[in-house]
Amino acid sequence: MKKDIAENICNETLFSSIFEKHSKNLHNFLYYKFGEEFNPKDKVQEAFIKLWENCAKITPSKAKSYLFTVANNLSINATAHKKVVLKYQLHKRKSYTNENPEFLIEEKEYLEKLQKAIATLSEAQRVAFLLNRIEGKKHKEIAEQLNISTKAVEKRIYGALKKLRTEIKEL
Amino acid sequence: MNREDLILKWLDHSLNSQELEQFKALEDYNDLIKLNSSLQHFKAPEYNTSDELKSVRSSISNTQKQSKLNWTKQLLRVAAILVIGFSIFYYTTTLDTTVKTLAAEKSLIALPDGSSTHLNAQSTLTYNKKNWNKTRDLKLNGEAFFRVTKGSTFNVITENGTVTVLGTQFNVKHRNNLFEVVCFEGSVSITNNIKTTILKPGDRYLILDGKYIAKEKENLKTPNWIANKSYFNSMPFQYVLNEFERQYDMKIDAQNINLQELYSGSFTHTDINLALKSITLPLNLNYSISGNTIYITSD
Repeated sequence: MKKDIAENICNETLFSSIFEKHSKNLHNFLYYKFGEEFNPKDKVQEAFIKLWENCAKITPSKAKSYLFTVANNLSINATAHKKVVLKYQLHKRKSYTNENPEFLIEEKEYLEKLQKAIATLSEAQRVAFLLNRIEGKKHKEIAEQLNISTKAVEKRIYGALKKLRTEIKEL
Repeated sequence: MNREDLILKWLDHSLNSQELEQFKALEDYNDLIKLNSSLQHFKAPEYNTSDELKSVRSSISNTQKQSKLNWTKQLLRVAAILVIGFSIFYYTTTLDTTVKTLAAEKSLIALPDGSSTHLNAQSTLTYNKKNWNKTRDLKLNGEAFFRVTKGSTFNVITENGTVTVLGTQFNVKHRNNLFEVVCFEGSVSITNNIKTTILKPGDRYLILDGKYIAKEKENLKTPNWIANKSYFNSMPFQYVLNEFERQYDMKIDAQNINLQELYSGSFTHTDINLALKSITLPLNLNYSISGNTIYITSD
């Protein structure tokens, strides 16, 4: 009996725990894939609402892939008609008061180059690489999330790194 | 360990301390670290899981409210369909009933209270079944014979006047300029714009081209046409021909004939040649049939 309750996503506690477990990953994945313009937060919400509406039909083990598929499809629907070059905003998180102006200009230039270089990456490369570098995820974790092999993740990330470095050098 | 393996391990966050030293010794170590630290500027915006969970929860409860609303909407839809269905049902059942006969066709109609009506050819009778208990009103255009059971007033409304009875048998004929009522049993009252006339059994009321024509008593129990005969007594020939056309669904061409000449006699509805003879011989006329048209000529 207890098992039955635990296996039903319609149970609010379980639903919340699934949300806590997957929502952030899902959000970051959508962000790196489609960029900010497509409201990854809204898409995450929509995906979880869909999960709730269909909670009786989906087992907890299927929840993760369901969420990723739904959110991905929602975003694809939104972007279907326009192929957008993704733009990345620079996040000024710290005030580099200690740095001299020359360094700041240099850093800004470098970030602009990096931004352009990231835009040249393929979607698959970009998602895997940024999840790895920024979110600090291991290859295996990314592989699980994207439903691909570790080897493929490794390839994408290494390819992305190589491409970025040559792009930056050229710019 | 070669350079590529080191970088791969670094990428997988799985360098051990010894490998880390080797990695640091790589010539492009500084480049990689610079790239890596700069990449942090591209971090996804802060995602507050608990805030987001709250808003998902609130939208879920909103949608649940909405689904309840949808449920009432569904109910309203069903109700609307039922209302429309009932009103159509009510409308159609209270609609007037119209019975129409074509040329050469007669019809016997049973009315809701047990009264009956014989409808002669090319006639229209309209009545309302629903209100029949309150008002026994019929609209007639053409000719019909009524057998009325006792009850409330029974009205036959025509353009030339209204025939009112209480329970009787009578014939009403209303054709263009001809309006004839014959009472066979009981009594009948006829009201038109001018006056009210009461007929006793055997009485005949005839208005031809707006003029009242007094007629002798009728001795029959039912009108002749019920027995498939048309009977005329000093009627203009035009009316005889009109009746003939109705009974046989034929066109009559009688251009050079005096149509006002009076005709007395009858014709059968069952034998066209015999009928033609009965209407032409007394007036010394000839006839020929061609397709759907009968030509009548004088000698």
